Amino acid sequence: MSVSSAASLSTEVVVLWLTLLVPALLGALAGCFPPRRMLPVLLIGAPLVLATLWLLHRVSVSGEFQGTWSPGGLLLHWRLNGLAGLLLLLTQLLLLASASYAVGHRQTFAVAERAYAGFWPLLGGLAVALGLIWVADDLLTLYAALELMGLCAVGMMLLPGKQEALVAGMRYLLYALVGSLAWLLGVALLLGASGRLDMAGLAANAAPGPVTGIAMALLAAGLLLKAAVFPLHGWLVPVHVSAWAPVSALHGALVVKASFFILMQLWQRLVADAVAAAWLLGLLGSLAVLWGGLQAWRADALKQMVAWSTVGQLGYLMLAFPLLAGTSAAVASLAWQATWLQLAGHALAKAAMFMAAGNLVLATGERHLSGLAGISRQLPLSLMTFGIAAVTLMGLPPSAGFTAKWLLLQAAILAGQWLWVAVLVAGTLLTAAYVFRVFRFAFAEDAPHHDVRVLPAGLDLIALLLALSALALGLGAEWPLALLREGGRP
Amino acid sequence: MSLLGELVAAGLLVILATACLFDRHLFRACLAFLAFALLMALAWWRLEAPWLALAEIVLGALLTGMALFHALGRLGEGCRLPPRDHQARPRHQSPVRWLAALVWLALAGLAVWELSGNSPLVASGEVSRRPLLASGLAIMALGLWAFAHHLHLLRRLLAFNVLGSGVFLLLAGLAGPVVEVQGLILVGLVVALVGSVLGAALLGRLYALDGRVTLGADRDAAP
Repeated sequence: MSVSSAASLSTEVVVLWLTLLVPALLGALAGCFPPRRMLPVLLIGAPLVLATLWLLHRVSVSGEFQGTWSPGGLLLHWRLNGLAGLLLLLTQLLLLASASYAVGHRQTFAVAERAYAGFWPLLGGLAVALGLIWVADDLLTLYAALELMGLCAVGMMLLPGKQEALVAGMRYLLYALVGSLAWLLGVALLLGASGRLDMAGLAANAAPGPVTGIAMALLAAGLLLKAAVFPLHGWLVPVHVSAWAPVSALHGALVVKASFFILMQLWQRLVADAVAAAWLLGLLGSLAVLWGGLQAWRADALKQMVAWSTVGQLGYLMLAFPLLAGTSAAVASLAWQATWLQLAGHALAKAAMFMAAGNLVLATGERHLSGLAGISRQLPLSLMTFGIAAVTLMGLPPSAGFTAKWLLLQAAILAGQWLWVAVLVAGTLLTAAYVFRVFRFAFAEDAPHHDVRVLPAGLDLIALLLALSALALGLGAEWPLALLREGGRP
Repeated sequence: MSLLGELVAAGLLVILATACLFDRHLFRACLAFLAFALLMALAWWRLEAPWLALAEIVLGALLTGMALFHALGRLGEGCRLPPRDHQARPRHQSPVRWLAALVWLALAGLAVWELSGNSPLVASGEVSRRPLLASGLAIMALGLWAFAHHLHLLRRLLAFNVLGSGVFLLLAGLAGPVVEVQGLILVGLVVALVGSVLGAALLGRLYALDGRVTLGADRDAAP
């Protein structure tokens, strides 16, 4: 790879590309020698997190890095700003947590050896794809990374090998493939109209007009399909119901968000002033909040509930579009920070919640909520983790969810867009309703004792740490928010 | 290459796509797809993109074809799927899909119309790109119809591949055979291949598990 940036081959660039590409190598290695214990995984993964922290520090000191590389006559662009760095850090943390959890999951749950070995290369591919999505600055790299991510995600969902997993995975595959063609058609129109693929060139050359609008509509349709935003969410819940907990955690936390991230980047550059379209997206998000919340409330399996809650929580992110389109600088700044804080808080909390739910299911062997009756006496730690994660999802202080919703609320009031205030309130109430439904079952006093399997301590610990970090992100939100204020907004 | 030759090639592509998507006999449909992919390679060759033509032959025709024939049970061991598709989609399931497919097609058609009217890029290209655009749109329409209409998973995979080829043709027709287009199409070909292999393997597994060749009782929003 030839890196030809202004800073040529600086240490930062080398470290960045190592952190981006090393996971693929580690994944392949772990595929050959599947790890048996958590500690080695943690030790090998920790340097990646530290390297990303260092990169983030460098970004906060000396500003954005960018560069290009040219394989075979193509000119591909990348950049690392505050936002991309924060998302990279989040990704590394969640990947590490998920990899360690997978080891513990394997220790308790009889998993086919081949499926377990197959998990690791897919995890490595997913890590590379997510990293590339955060730093890519042109549509070709984004396309390749998006597809790599989608295919790895489908592969991971298929690992359980049961019939319901295969059917759900097949549906996911078909959805993902068609979504990618919609995206490619949008890219074709943009390329035909402006002759550029890099984001800066597109923003400068794309004339506002019907073609840009249509291209953006096709791109948005493909991305919304992959992000499972309201009317296109049909594939998400069945896929999660049958997937392994560490896979669900990564998928709900990061994979669906990556599509949202790309959509936001493109939207801000190409059609930032399209108020009506932005309101349409906001309305879809509102419906997602309500519908996802209602379905989560009605769900009778635990993982089903958590998956529906993802559909609902993704809706909050979509509220950013109307709050960023044609509003004052103060409103836009608030909404911008709120969105990414909500994304990070939800990623941590949702991963924790999927893992906690996985722990409850693994320990009791019960998938249904009614089967968890009286579980508070036997699995207090798993249940507490579930509760702490739920604090962030509901948006209670001092969690990241609270800070994010508080900022969002301020933005909506400042902009006079009262509809979103109502949506925020309704969403919070619905979240409380479905979370407390779990606790109502769990705290039943008259339920018989379960035969509970003892889980490795690491499983509960990882979930608890993630849930607590979602709380801590709310308390220490100033540092990421300062980074976000400085850079990232195109 | 004369305009007439371009027209004939584009017409042949559309005819083969039609044969591939309308034939209920799965083996014949797969053969038609193979011929379609080879003709696509010829189209890339004539656009002076020999590497793309090679990739299309290897990835699009050879490997995808092998995956499809393997799923059919004509290649290697494996369950042999029934040779014909007997599924018919109930009428009441269709409207939303039809609407989505029509909106997609209308948007694409409108954008191509706008672009071929006043874009400097298309204007500078020869007239011979017009047949490419027209055949791309037609093939995309066929692929969309088939993807929305068929239930049999193998036929949906074929429809996806044809739809993808239609998008590639549009891409090449809109922006010319520049290096960015070749890169995008190459990635697209790899993705289509991996998707087809994965889909065909899944179909084989599902058929072996409980004899199904469709996604089955879709409760609500199926793709």
